[in-house]
Amino acid sequence: MLNINYPKIEKKDYPNLELNLVEPIHKLNLRGKSRDFFTKAGRILSIMLPPEPNTSATIKSISALWLSPDEWMVYGKDIEKNLMLSLDSEISKLNLGSVTDVSDQWVLINMRGKNVFEVLSKGSSFDFNQFKNNKNVVVQTLLNHVDVILHHNDINNVDLFVRKSFSEHLWLWINDSSSFL
Amino acid sequence: MFIITCPFCGERDQSEFSAGGEAHIVRPKQPTELSDDEWADFLFMRKNIKGVQFERWNHAHGCRKWFNVIRDTSNDKIHAVYKMGEKPPSD
Ligand SMILES: [Zn+2]
Repeated sequence: MLNINYPKIEKKDYPNLELNLVEPIHKLNLRGKSRDFFTKAGRILSIMLPPEPNTSATIKSISALWLSPDEWMVYGKDIEKNLMLSLDSEISKLNLGSVTDVSDQWVLINMRGKNVFEVLSKGSSFDFNQFKNNKNVVVQTLLNHVDVILHHNDINNVDLFVRKSFSEHLWLWINDSSSFL
Repeated sequence: MFIITCPFCGERDQSEFSAGGEAHIVRPKQPTELSDDEWADFLFMRKNIKGVQFERWNHAHGCRKWFNVIRDTSNDKIHAVYKMGEKPPSD
């Protein structure tokens, strides 16, 4: 049986760093290449899927993250059932692309504060020097050997996605690293 | 350790990638007509050059796309990176 409970993640405060679990939140994986796919997805979500690598687009509370040349993650509190149904009937069923609900696959942890990149740099080989100065940038990389998607949605405010089965382990690691700030 | 420039994501550490062996090995058009030796040759035999080698890499912990790399195996210097389906740069 799938364990639908989220790992025990509670709000934590460290010097210039605040950690929060942002769940439950809808997350969709969209894949497609054709012009029709882009137009339909854009119209239904009221957001253009960003074609530029490592970037994101946010309108109201919905964000679309570039994951690869033909793959995006869309997440937000305001993704309603109707929107999912439209994506399904107008993209998936017409074979324009694929739409997968990955809400339960990823856990979203928000990290905010001046020390966000101090902590992330402890466990990742990614060069955050430019990344931390730009808003609406995305990176998929390894953090403490665990796959993560990082969305820098505002300066010193990062949405971190981690696969659910790794989330507790990574959460403990983040807390451990943060306690040495 | 070395840095690889993913043709989609840009510069990343080698740890984000997985190596996929020699590039540009063409699958035989009529596998059923091959002898066991010829099939084994296609499946297993690789050049394993000490020096400049054409390789496939996958950005496993990033965009998950495959691409080609020209790498000197003796010093890990990367001479070129190009996408799947593209011809290797001539110089
Ligand atoms: Zn990549």
